[in-house]
Amino acid sequence: MKKLLIFGLAAAFVLPAWALDNNIKMPVNLDRLAARATESVDVTLDASMLELASKFLSQDDPDQAHVKKLVSKLKGVYVRSFEFDKEGQYSMSDVESLRRQLKAPEWSRIVGVRSLKGENSEVYLQKNGSKIGGLFVIAAEPKELTIVHIDGPIDPEELSQLGGHMGIPKIGVKHESAKSAGKDQE
Amino acid sequence: MTEFEQQLAQALERREPPAGFTSRVLAAASQQPTRSRWQAWRWAFVLRAAPVMAALLVVAGGALYQNYERIERGEAAKQQLLLAVKIAGAKLYDARQRVVSIGEIRGAGTEEEQ
Repeated sequence: MKKLLIFGLAAAFVLPAWALDNNIKMPVNLDRLAARATESVDVTLDASMLELASKFLSQDDPDQAHVKKLVSKLKGVYVRSFEFDKEGQYSMSDVESLRRQLKAPEWSRIVGVRSLKGENSEVYLQKNGSKIGGLFVIAAEPKELTIVHIDGPIDPEELSQLGGHMGIPKIGVKHESAKSAGKDQE
Repeated sequence: MTEFEQQLAQALERREPPAGFTSRVLAAASQQPTRSRWQAWRWAFVLRAAPVMAALLVVAGGALYQNYERIERGEAAKQQLLLAVKIAGAKLYDARQRVVSIGEIRGAGTEEEQ
């Protein structure tokens, strides 16, 4: 009985930590990479912070109005990005624990590109019935590692429509390319 | 005794006050204006209102500071959100461009085979 009580208490403390970020736990070793990085970005916005941020987005600015619409239904936005001055500052094992969490049937990888130059991109979508429940991007380059987790219903197409705004290059391909991006190519 | 000393002694010589001096002083003192009822009430009001006003000032100051903090947090969250969306959009753009370029390379390959 005593053991059960201790287990229950431990679970009560440990489970909320695991439940963070919609069951996706950012590995601790990612934070250690920040020490080696020349530049690092750490954005953690939960639902309440998104709501607050959204109130400060201007409706008059088309970019901000677009972002406001985009994030209106989101539950969280998490970004970790590291830029290094030389190669080999991180290994793919650093993100392996993340990959292990992005498993079917909940998650499906819609894009997986690996190049000989070491530029790898992976895009995962979280299924929520017939809708998209979240988006996960792992972009690994020799001197850069970026992880993006958007928790909540989002259309990646809508996000990529920001191309040409906010410093994101405009996508110069036809709309059909989005469909081709749906195929897993390695 | 010199002339100067004589003058000094004369100047410091004890003299009795003129007749009726005491009664005149007492009469003048009794005629000093006393605080009116209105003034007394005003002072009492000020003394009682001062702590209330001070408390109101503290509360108003606190509310203003809280609002200022909320604006600061909101602006910071907005900047973080814009940065996150920018990074996410750019990385999705990169992934898509890579897929497109692979498609183009493969397409060119099959055209050459044909």
